Amino acid sequence: MNVSRRHLLKAATLGSASLAAPHIVSRAFAAEPIKVGALYSQTGNLAVAEKLLANGVSMAVAEINATGGILGRPVEVVVEDGASDPKTFSEKASKLIVKDKIMTVFGCHTSASRKAVLPIFEKRGAMLFYQTHYEGFECSRNVIYSGAVPNHQLANYIPWIVKTLGKKKFFIVGSNYIYPREMAKVSKKLIEAAGAQWVADEYLELGHSEWAVMVKKIKESGADVVLSNVVGDSIIAFYREFKNQGISQADIPICATVTSEIEIAAMGADYAAGSYTSFPYFMSLDMPGNKSFIERFRKFVNDPKQVTYHSLEAAYFQVFLWKQAVEKSKDLGAEGIRTGIAGQSYEAPGGKVTIDADNLHCWLTPRIGQWQADGQSKVVDAYPHPIKPLPYFAYGETESNLFCTSKGLDTAKLKI
Amino acid sequence: MTLDRRLTLCAYALFIVAIFAVPLFVDEFGLNRIAKFLVYGMLGIAIALSWGYAGILNLGQGLFFGLGAYMLAMSLKLASPTSLQQGADKPVPDFMLWNAEPGAPTDLCCINKASFLWLPFQHQSVGLVMGIALPVIVAALLGIIVFRKRIEGPFVSIITLALVLLVRLVLVDAQPVTGGFNGLTDLASLEIFGFEFDPYSKGTYWLAAGILTLTLVATRLIVETRAGLVLQAARDDQRRVRYLGFDVSLYQTFFFCVAAAISGVAGMLYVIVAQFASPTFMDLAFSVTMVVWAAVGGRASILGACVGAILINMMEAGISETEALVGAWKAIIGLVFVLTVLFLPRGLAGLLHDQIGRFASVGRDKPRVAHVPMSSAAVTETKEA
Amino acid sequence: MIDVLFIGLSLSSILLLVALGLAITYGAMGVINMAHGEIVMAGAYVAVLSGIWLKTSFYVALPLAFLAAAALGWIIERLVVSRLYGRLLDTLLATWGVSMLIQQAIRLEFGLTFLGIHIAGLGTGLQNVAVPAELQGVVNIAGVELNAYRGFIVLVTVVLTALTWFIMYWTSLGMKVRAIIRNPKMAAACGIDVRKVNALTFAYGSGLAGVAGVMMSGFKGVSPDLGSSMVVDGFMVVVTGGLGSLIGTIMASGLLGETNALVAVATNDILARAVIFAAVILVIVLKPEGLFSFKRR
Repeated sequence: MNVSRRHLLKAATLGSASLAAPHIVSRAFAAEPIKVGALYSQTGNLAVAEKLLANGVSMAVAEINATGGILGRPVEVVVEDGASDPKTFSEKASKLIVKDKIMTVFGCHTSASRKAVLPIFEKRGAMLFYQTHYEGFECSRNVIYSGAVPNHQLANYIPWIVKTLGKKKFFIVGSNYIYPREMAKVSKKLIEAAGAQWVADEYLELGHSEWAVMVKKIKESGADVVLSNVVGDSIIAFYREFKNQGISQADIPICATVTSEIEIAAMGADYAAGSYTSFPYFMSLDMPGNKSFIERFRKFVNDPKQVTYHSLEAAYFQVFLWKQAVEKSKDLGAEGIRTGIAGQSYEAPGGKVTIDADNLHCWLTPRIGQWQADGQSKVVDAYPHPIKPLPYFAYGETESNLFCTSKGLDTAKLKI
Repeated sequence: MTLDRRLTLCAYALFIVAIFAVPLFVDEFGLNRIAKFLVYGMLGIAIALSWGYAGILNLGQGLFFGLGAYMLAMSLKLASPTSLQQGADKPVPDFMLWNAEPGAPTDLCCINKASFLWLPFQHQSVGLVMGIALPVIVAALLGIIVFRKRIEGPFVSIITLALVLLVRLVLVDAQPVTGGFNGLTDLASLEIFGFEFDPYSKGTYWLAAGILTLTLVATRLIVETRAGLVLQAARDDQRRVRYLGFDVSLYQTFFFCVAAAISGVAGMLYVIVAQFASPTFMDLAFSVTMVVWAAVGGRASILGACVGAILINMMEAGISETEALVGAWKAIIGLVFVLTVLFLPRGLAGLLHDQIGRFASVGRDKPRVAHVPMSSAAVTETKEA
Repeated sequence: MIDVLFIGLSLSSILLLVALGLAITYGAMGVINMAHGEIVMAGAYVAVLSGIWLKTSFYVALPLAFLAAAALGWIIERLVVSRLYGRLLDTLLATWGVSMLIQQAIRLEFGLTFLGIHIAGLGTGLQNVAVPAELQGVVNIAGVELNAYRGFIVLVTVVLTALTWFIMYWTSLGMKVRAIIRNPKMAAACGIDVRKVNALTFAYGSGLAGVAGVMMSGFKGVSPDLGSSMVVDGFMVVVTGGLGSLIGTIMASGLLGETNALVAVATNDILARAVIFAAVILVIVLKPEGLFSFKRR
């Protein structure tokens, strides 16, 4: 899928150099490059998702270099392999920060890897850009979170399922780790608030692909909708088993929070047709920047069938937010990024995004997509504008009562 | 003292001097990284002891490593400043709040059904003691059952394998108490008598180097005791040793426990150096990888296995950080594993031993076999370790 | 209840598909092939590639995967395993390295990524295998709704098991293999070309893994690490059943599969998996020779 990123990167830089005005070229090559890290798994079971994210970052950097770099300096990406193992993530993060003295790292995909590297960033005062939608409950001053948090994915989703789809009984299912459990917790509150009920809350081992019994349970539970927080390639086995046991998405739709274009393409669109996902970005979005983004990314990875999805879009646009922050504060350090990025907006492929000044998370537009027979989604419901990220949404955080502010986490407000 | 023995002594001395000289040459990152490798070196020792000397191939060594790591990590988690920020008087790990039932009291005693298990770990000494004690207890129970039943060879391997996967499964599932898949992160530094072991400090490196040296020497001495000799005899022929009146299972269990203790200490050291504990310590891949380190270094040599672990990790770090090889390093490492097993059955230690033996014999009488390729000689000499 | 037993049967079949190849290579030849899972993965990729490049249907992939996996197995046997007979644990270590190599080969598209070439169907990402329409959904047999794909898995497993049975007990090759299992030196003394038979046996066991891979590709995502978790399950089945015993492997997979289904229905899938691990440990402790073995360890 990924083809010689470095090769292409070089080509992109050279290509741009020949196109750009000579003075930019000379300036770009005279100045010392700004080094940033890209810490994703290139090997191991998580490479499936993470290699694409690394490509998203690399493409953004190549584009920045093609337009003259940052502060007149080119950007150089140091790619490290997290090898799908928190041990390696921790070691490579310390290599990037302590040895190479790199202040900005784009990276991590799972919460487990982010949690493992976070102390290094905090103690050494470096900045992590983290693009994956996650469970919230984090208020680090050394991370810029450009992906969705539970209020982006669930606040509109659950009421919509109850009201518009008219579903009353939820079967909640997820992979067995923090994100699905936390999503389930938030969902339960929202389900009850919407006047519906949940009949089960079940988990399967991460990476598990045997769904026969679970789907049978769903069938017999009397539930009329499934809320899926299943991650990874378990998703494929799940949707296939769902159809293979004769359940139709029209009767019991799967409403997912993780299933993206990637998994749909891998399972075959007919298995998912009719199901829903809540994400701020879909490949099908009819935005001016999106078409060109898809095209450029396909060219970048040398795969004409490559799909784009939420985390990839976030991995890409976070680099531009970083650029704007650095250009604003003229300071490459974490403090400079922090002050520079607060309130910074960027016109991303999926519309306008803004980094929140309080909690350094990202303002995103909640959207609900229904998967079609061609493997693309049709947006069936969307907010008119981006909404504020609330990482402590599950614990009662609201826009008027913030837990996580620029002063850090207010623990007095935090009640279970 | 035979020549062999003198050489062995030299090798040990050289290695120990080398690891203590490291801080003269590297920066703080290098110190931290090599400290981690020294921890892996301890795992190599544990494998060499149980596999090379006792003939027990433990494919679940990661279990003991993980248990040791988690025990200390629990103490350090409670000592972490973030655990004090939950609005309670006593520290409560942040992940317990995520997993708590709505309305549960924010108190370590009863935030969930099993959180009271954490109470003793408020004393750091409990974490330190349990980090050795728990692996040893588990190893003893397992050893007594398995070795009394005279189970051997690959069957022991499969049992240990199934056990480590079972524990990993439970650990991930018991998320409210264990932190689940994320493991225990954001830990405090270990503090002993007011001295703080910052992971990047020389003090921490000395600690790792010191414990490794101690382990290395102690293990070497212990295999030379009578018990060690009985064990080796049992490895070669259990029945014969049993006929001589020795309770073989007792010896096996004892050494199994020693290996577990070493792994437990390694786990604790890793937590001090890397500041997190993760269920991935109990992955199958990690446990198998340890065995391969030992095989590359030389399974029948304690020092060899230790050096093997360190070298392989240095090589991995070197290759994976070479820009052109980021995607390919795993393939290269895989190739090295295959080639070592095929052509150096006794690992680097065996190779070195033969080379030196040849060199010495060359010195004494005139060259006779100087140009026989080393690898093939090693293959023909060694059948099974 | 019938549907639970059917699920159990299908779980057993999946276990058996993977374990059948191992029962031959490990049980009979004494090779702990850690790359077995990767051969399964290679089989799945045959399904992917034949779908993309040959435009052939899923069914055609079955024999193709058998041949490709058998060829791969033959190469592994000749290059690596054949040098290690009699060194059981060394086969484990060497094939562990082999498994890393195969995984990376797929991930790096056999190194072509370094040249900037991309082959559709290879690489890091998840791949899609199109399942024929008749294998999607349910079939109705005597009033009981059964999952068509799982039915097909059971069918394929039965055929392969019968074929293996036939080869092992009714052909001269099978007789030679059984002779080698019992006593390789004596077999060689009787004029059996042990090297050739070993290579063929290993290739056959690998071929079975390849077919298993195609069947896996029909219900889970295909990626380079598809097989890495499978080899453990396979070994547990073979050891539980007893080394060198085909019937033992069949019975053990049946036992573990049904236990898994019943426990999962009664409680949950995570507990079911824990019970399986515990059961395997218990069986080895209580009956180290395996449940159904003719051969003492």
